[in-house]
Formats: sequence, C-alpha cells, structure tokens
Amino acid sequence: MYDVTVIGSGPGGYVAAIRCAQLGMKTALVEKYNTLGGTCLNVGCIPSKALLDSSEHFHQAKHQFAEHGIEIGEPKINLEQMMSRKDGVVGQTTDGINFLMKKNKVDVFHGFGSFVDKNTIKVTKEGGETEEFKTEKTIIATGSKPIMLPFIEFDKKRVITSTEALQLKEVPKHLVIIGGGVIGLELGSVYARLGAEVTVVEFLDGLIPMMDVTMGKELQRVLKKEGFKFHFKTKVTSVKVEGEEVMIKAEDKKGKELEIKADYCLVAVGRRPYTDKLGLENAGVKVDDRGRVDVNDHLQTSVEGIYAIGDVIKGAMLAHKAEEEGVFVAETIAGQKPHINYKLIPGVVYTWPEVASVGYTEQELKEEGRAFKTGSFPFRASGRARASMDIDGVAKVLADAETDEILGMHIIGPRAADMIAEGVVAMEYRASAEDISRMSHAHPTYTEAIKEACLAATDDRALHI
Amino acid sequence: MALEMKVPAVGESITEVTIAQWLKQDGDHVEMDEIICELESDKATFELTAEASGTLKIAAVDGETLEIGALICTIEEGDGAAETTSEAKTTGGTAQVAEAPKATGEVLEMKVPAVGESISEVTIASWVKQDGDFVELDEIICEIESDKATFELTAEASGTLEIVAGEGDTLEIGALICKIAVSEGAPVAVKETAAAAQAESTPSATAAGSQTYATGHASPAASKILSEKGIDPNSINGTGKDGRVTKEDALRAEKAAPKAAAAAPKAPVAAKETAPAAPAGDREQRHQKMTPLRKTIAKRLVSVKNQTAMLTTFNEVDMKPVMDVRKQYKDMFKEKHDIGLGFMSFFTKAVTVALKEWPAVNAMIDGDEIVYNDYCDVSIAVSAPKGLVVPVIRNAEKLSLAGIEQEVKRLALRARDNKLTIPEMEGGTFTITNGGVFGSMLSTPIINAPQSAILGMHNIVERPVAVNGQVEIRPVMYIALSYDHRIIDGRESVSFLKRVKELLEDPIRLLLDV
Repeated sequence: MYDVTVIGSGPGGYVAAIRCAQLGMKTALVEKYNTLGGTCLNVGCIPSKALLDSSEHFHQAKHQFAEHGIEIGEPKINLEQMMSRKDGVVGQTTDGINFLMKKNKVDVFHGFGSFVDKNTIKVTKEGGETEEFKTEKTIIATGSKPIMLPFIEFDKKRVITSTEALQLKEVPKHLVIIGGGVIGLELGSVYARLGAEVTVVEFLDGLIPMMDVTMGKELQRVLKKEGFKFHFKTKVTSVKVEGEEVMIKAEDKKGKELEIKADYCLVAVGRRPYTDKLGLENAGVKVDDRGRVDVNDHLQTSVEGIYAIGDVIKGAMLAHKAEEEGVFVAETIAGQKPHINYKLIPGVVYTWPEVASVGYTEQELKEEGRAFKTGSFPFRASGRARASMDIDGVAKVLADAETDEILGMHIIGPRAADMIAEGVVAMEYRASAEDISRMSHAHPTYTEAIKEACLAATDDRALHI
Repeated sequence: MALEMKVPAVGESITEVTIAQWLKQDGDHVEMDEIICELESDKATFELTAEASGTLKIAAVDGETLEIGALICTIEEGDGAAETTSEAKTTGGTAQVAEAPKATGEVLEMKVPAVGESISEVTIASWVKQDGDFVELDEIICEIESDKATFELTAEASGTLEIVAGEGDTLEIGALICKIAVSEGAPVAVKETAAAAQAESTPSATAAGSQTYATGHASPAASKILSEKGIDPNSINGTGKDGRVTKEDALRAEKAAPKAAAAAPKAPVAAKETAPAAPAGDREQRHQKMTPLRKTIAKRLVSVKNQTAMLTTFNEVDMKPVMDVRKQYKDMFKEKHDIGLGFMSFFTKAVTVALKEWPAVNAMIDGDEIVYNDYCDVSIAVSAPKGLVVPVIRNAEKLSLAGIEQEVKRLALRARDNKLTIPEMEGGTFTITNGGVFGSMLSTPIINAPQSAILGMHNIVERPVAVNGQVEIRPVMYIALSYDHRIIDGRESVSFLKRVKELLEDPIRLLLDV
C-alpha cells in the first residue's frame, strides 16, 4: 500500500513524487516509457533547447563570427552529430531523474499505469504482463500529446509532430509549419538557422497570441529577417503526402485558395490532455468538455484522494506550471496550505531572441478597463546587447497608473527567459516600477533593460535613450 | 501650519516611552488639551494632551517605542482646512520646500555647560539626534548624565549637527560636544524632493511606512504560513517595505494569534511508527512583549533580592477586636467621614506607631550611611492593569483613620485608571502589601527598594486558638515582615511585628498611645 502514487514522470509528476517523499510519504511513480522525464525531457523542452543552441551556434558561426573577427571558413552541418549530442543531453538529464528517484526512495514502475478502481493501480509492462498495487492517494500527471487534425494525413515521416521534428535525419529544404505558437516557432527557428526555408501558416492574425501584442509583433519582425514566411488568418484545408513532397492547401480570410509545396510539414497546432486508457471511469474521475481532468482549487479531481496536475488539467501547458502544481498537491496532501499564483507563472518562447512574459498583457488590462502606464526599452540601446550583437528586442513593463505597481513584464531579447525571473520576484512582492528602477543592476547586463523600462514606466525617466 | 508634538521629558531618569494606545485616529479633529494618546514608561503611564486644535496626523503607531523628544504626531492647525497640497508636502517631510535652508557658513561649537559647583565631568548618555541631522534651535539633541542628575542639552542654533563626542564618552565641563553648521530655513531632503514632488503620481515610491497598495501583502512564504495558521494577512502589521508581510512576520504572527487553529501538518506517514503520541488538547503558546513597566519591575525585584540581605519574620493576629470595632462603628464612620472603614487604616496606623518605636524599620541605606526618616510615607502596593504600582500615603503618621482611608481610596482609583504620576509613587519609607485580598495565607514579600522593610497582610481565616486557656474559634491573619537584615536586626524586626500585632489585637492602644 502506497501513500501516494504518481502516474506520469514528467516535470510535474517526478517533482510531485520527490516532494511527497520529502514529506515522509511512501511514494510510487508509474511511467509508460523506458525513460523518466516525460515530454519535457524526452521530446520537448530539453531536446528542443539542445537543438536550438546547436543551431544558434551554427547560425552565429555562419553570420556573426566574421564580424567578431573569427575566420573559420564555411561552417558545415553534421546533423547526425547534432542529433546525437541532443540525445546525450536528454540521456544525462533522464539519468539524473533516475538518481533523484533513488535518492528520495521513490519506487519507480515502468509500464502503462491505469486505474482499476479508486485505490488500485494496474501497471501493464511492455511484454503485456501486469502488476497491481494499492494506493491511498493518486496524482494524475500524464501530460499531453500533440493535437492531430482529422483532415491531415499523418505519416510521421513527411507530415510530422514536434516529436518527429526533433529526430529528422536531414535538414528540410522547405518546412511548412501549421501553427504560429511556441512549439512551431522554436522548431522552425532550429531548421531555419540550419538552412531550411520556413513557412508558417497561422489561423489567427499574429504570432504567440497568448502573449503581449508587442512581443508577437517584434518576434514576427525578427523571424522575417531570418527568412520566415508567414500566412496569417489562413485556414489549412488539407495536407497530403505525395511521395517525397507534401502538398498543403489553405484558404485565406478572403476565401482565396493557397497551395504550398514542401518536403516536410510540421503540425504544431497545440496539445491535448493525455488520458487515453487511463481508466478514469474505473475510479470515477470526471473530465471537462475539452477532455481535461476536472479539478477544484486544491487540484483534487471529482474523486477524493485523486489529484491531477500539469498539462492534463486546465491552464497553460508549461513544465514549470506542472512543477509548481506537483509541489502544491504533495504539500496539500501533507496537510499544508500552499499557494500558486497562476498569474505569475512566466511564459517563455525559446526562439532567438527569446520571449518571456509574466503578469497581465496590455490587451488584458485594456479589457479590464484598468488604468495603466507602460515603459519600454529597446535592446538596441543596451551596451551589453550591442557588445554581443543581440540588438533585437525590447523590454516592456506595465504598471498601475495610480499605484505604480508592476502588473506585467514582457521581454523579447537575449536571455529573456532568465531575465523574466526579476519580474516574477518583483510581482510576487508587489513591487512598483520605481522600486525596480531604484535597485542597482550590474553594468553591463541585459537586465539593465528591465531597469530602464521601469524607469520609463515610472515617469518616462529612462536614462540611456 | 502644522505643529509637531514630541515625546515630553517625563522625568530625569526616563529615556524612552512606548505608545500604549492612541485614543484618536489619524486624521481626527482634536481639541487643544484633549487627551489624544496614552504613553507608557518604565515608571508610569501618562496621557498626552493635544497642544493645539486641529487635524491629527499620527507619526508613531501603537506599541512603538520612542525616545524623549521624538516626534509623536503633528497637528495640522485650522481643522483640515489646509489645502491638500500643503498636506502632501507635510507627509513628504519637506514642508517648506520653497524656503530651502541657506548655510550661513557659521559653525557653532557646543560645549559641556557648567551644571553645578560640585560637578566636574559628565557622560553623554544618548544622542537624540543623529550625526548629520538637521536640528532646530532649542531642540533636544542629547542627554547628559552626571553623578547627580541627568539633563538634556538643547541645540543652540538651527543647522546641521556634527557629533563630536560619542555616547558613553566622559567629558569635562567646557569640552566640545558637537558642532552645528548654522543655516537659515528648514531642511530639505535634497534628492528626495524630486521624488516627493512626484509622489502624487507614484505614491508608492516615497510612502515608506504609510499605507500603500502593497500594505499587508504577504510574500509567498508568508502567505503559506498565514494560510496554514488561518490568519488574515491584513490583520498583521507587516514590517517589510510599505508594510509588506515578511516570512518572519508570518512566523511571529503564528505565535501571537491565540486561536490560530494550526492546520497541523499531518504527521508524515513514514514517521508514524516512531513518533510519540502527541498530547491531546490545545498546545499553542503566545509571545507578548513585556511593557516597560513590567520589565523594570522584573529587573528591580531581582536586583533587590541580590542586593539586600532579605529575611522574613511572621506573626499571627487575632482580628476579632478590629472586626468588632468595624462592626460596631462602620455605619457611623461612613456617615461622618463619607468613606468605609476598612482594615487598611488600622494596619497603616499600627505600622506608623510601630515605625516610630523601631526607626530602623523606617530607615534606608544610602552608600555608607543610614538615612532615618522621622516621618512615615507608607507605600501601598496596588495591582494595577499595567502591573504592580506603589503609590504613597504621605505623612501617614499624622493622618486619622478616615484620612488614611480617603487617601487609600484616592490612590487606588488613580492606579486603576493609570493616572498615577511618578511623584505620587516616589519616596515611600515603608510598604504595606495585601496579598490577602487574593486569598494568600502566607507569603514572603520582596522589599520595595530603597526601603528596608515591607509588611505583608494576608487572608483572614477562622482558626482554633487558645484564649485564656480555652480553645476558641477566632478570625486570624498571619502577617509577615520582610526586612533588610543589613540594617534591621532580629530584635527590631520581630519587636516591630509584635507591636503591630498588639495594636491590632487591642485597637484602644492606638487611641491611648500605649
């Protein structure tokens, strides 16, 4: 009998298991794949970041080294090596999780986990043999899968999802990406840098629509420079594989038909909660109209003692959101009263420049009718950015018009993903824009752009522009 | 025009006071001489009255400890008719922005004044102002101690203070204490002025210590702790910037909240087998700051025990005669003197008679000398709301029983209302304490220094006693005399107590003086 069983070993699941173990609970972790870590570690954040970094290095070698005064001749791509380095990074990271499970005495079951009833978990191993055990409480952390559109022929060779895109054997000549969200743009960046022609077909009228409008616009400008082509307000009607080619048909907002030929088509239109064959019905766990596991404020499902976290429930599909929720549930089970401030979970896009944001967007504040002021500072004006030739992007701060409280921070620029932490800390403490602008920021650093944006928001007092 | 009210000097030895309670709210209109706030010192509690009529702006909140001369509040004269602009300036601390001080270039040297013929040197007790502060003419800037007395040094000019002698330094008369760079006009916090001017649009920027949008906002860790203890973050005085609630605040709050029904984290399952069974029932602890008064009492009680050779002797008193007298004359007494006839008057009277006979009991040690008092100032220990106080009945030996009763009543009422002043509590020569009112049967009271003896009264209970060879049931009280054996010998202490007993057991003797 386990105190807690976690189904799914992604960043939400394994973190929940560690925290449960730390709190003295006897914990089991069930994972269908051979390696732990879930989508994020195996076919998500980590491998894509590995390829993003590799391709960025290539891009720099090709376009910037000469300007730095480094002459290396024409750099060449060894895609096999690039992929194997990526696999090495993934391998090391998943091994790290194995170690953490051992260290925290979490029992790991490899096999497909499902509910027999509320307190019984069945693990079906690869060979088909099954094992059952009892558990008092369960945390569902089974994550999500890429959405497959019904009118698209998926062959996973030419028409692919993000999973396959991380394992291509060649650099596409022309990669068409359906969807202008985070995953499409990150993988698109990888192959664009490696030399592919990249075309993005997006149904809405801008990139990364969940983020602040300035971010989408700026990112679009930068990617265009890198050779991206965009079709907005365009609806894909069919995707057909024709030998080594893919034919994508689409319709723009005026109803005009569009035909695009490519050698690869990446479908990145979002992800859906993954609860297939989990046996939710055996335990009595309900899902909502969009297939997400229904949870209350304590992340408990409709069944007492069964919780759900991460991509499988509502909210942003982000590894760090799942992680926070894993800790939240573990502590809740232990009788503590933890908090998550969903408004302050940062969102990140690992293109280059990176995009990161936290808090309210300008659109949201306008919708709420809240009086706000904004301050922004372009990286072009930052000494550090000029030194590293990373002059694209802008830091933008939104603050309450009356109190000066920071309501949102949005950065597109070098290392934005790391810098956004300053915004999170500030907002968790409800700092004002002037608070940040009065704190010393090391010079020269990228974070000076945040300080300058805050100065601009305070009273249009930016110093370096 | 805003009047600044500062902590008044309340006694030579008092250096700081605590705000016990504001009776008026920030922004209230107050009338001149109206009581606006209660202050506590380690000696007494007193009330602060408004020095002018107008709108009150509180500068120091409840529980805050302030030094003498520190700002308590300002009163905006003219009853809030003041324009908002001038108000804003006041809160920004830059009241006269327009009249920036002009340094005159003159530097005034302040020296230790001659404070008395026999005093040749003084010690700096504490600086009320900091180095670099702007000081106003006649403002108290420093406290000086000599071996005789403590006095305050006031600024001889307005300007910027430069401290020369540090706290604890001993200086001769005429030595340099500090310099004042004399200037005309009021201070302006140079760089903050700009920020203050913008305060209208960005109040959070300068409003340190005042209420802002973030006041009461709990940090993530604090929020979790408070939530687990069931405490509303808004109920806490956050010590973080602009009143934010820090983790430390939350941890403290946990202790202070009496009914914080802690959602006791479920004992980790693995630890269940080994963990000892937790005792049932509420096990909360509460931490509360000691009032200055109680702190001083605590300190004094311990030092008295350490510094005297304290000893206690007992006797018993047959209270029947006194009780009979009371029974018989109670109504007449009340009618004539308009006060009840209690036991205190008999005891006080008996004590004064006995003290005259045994003057050592009424004496005290001063260095190598014994000070004999030819009068009896009898301190009466009273349990007041803020702690034990000992108001004094002056020249009790000259008072009638009615006079004593009236004095006892007057002092007790003042004690109850926290209205006793320090002069009313100073200078007693002997103390009577009545633990009996709470039911005590026997106790060894601690001497009220610098006095040398204290009489303890106790509960009256019926006891079988031998009277003329017969066993009778009598109302009996045990009395105790704790005394400093250094100046009071057994002969004096025991005889004193026996004399008190005799006078009480035969009250006629008080009348006949025998």
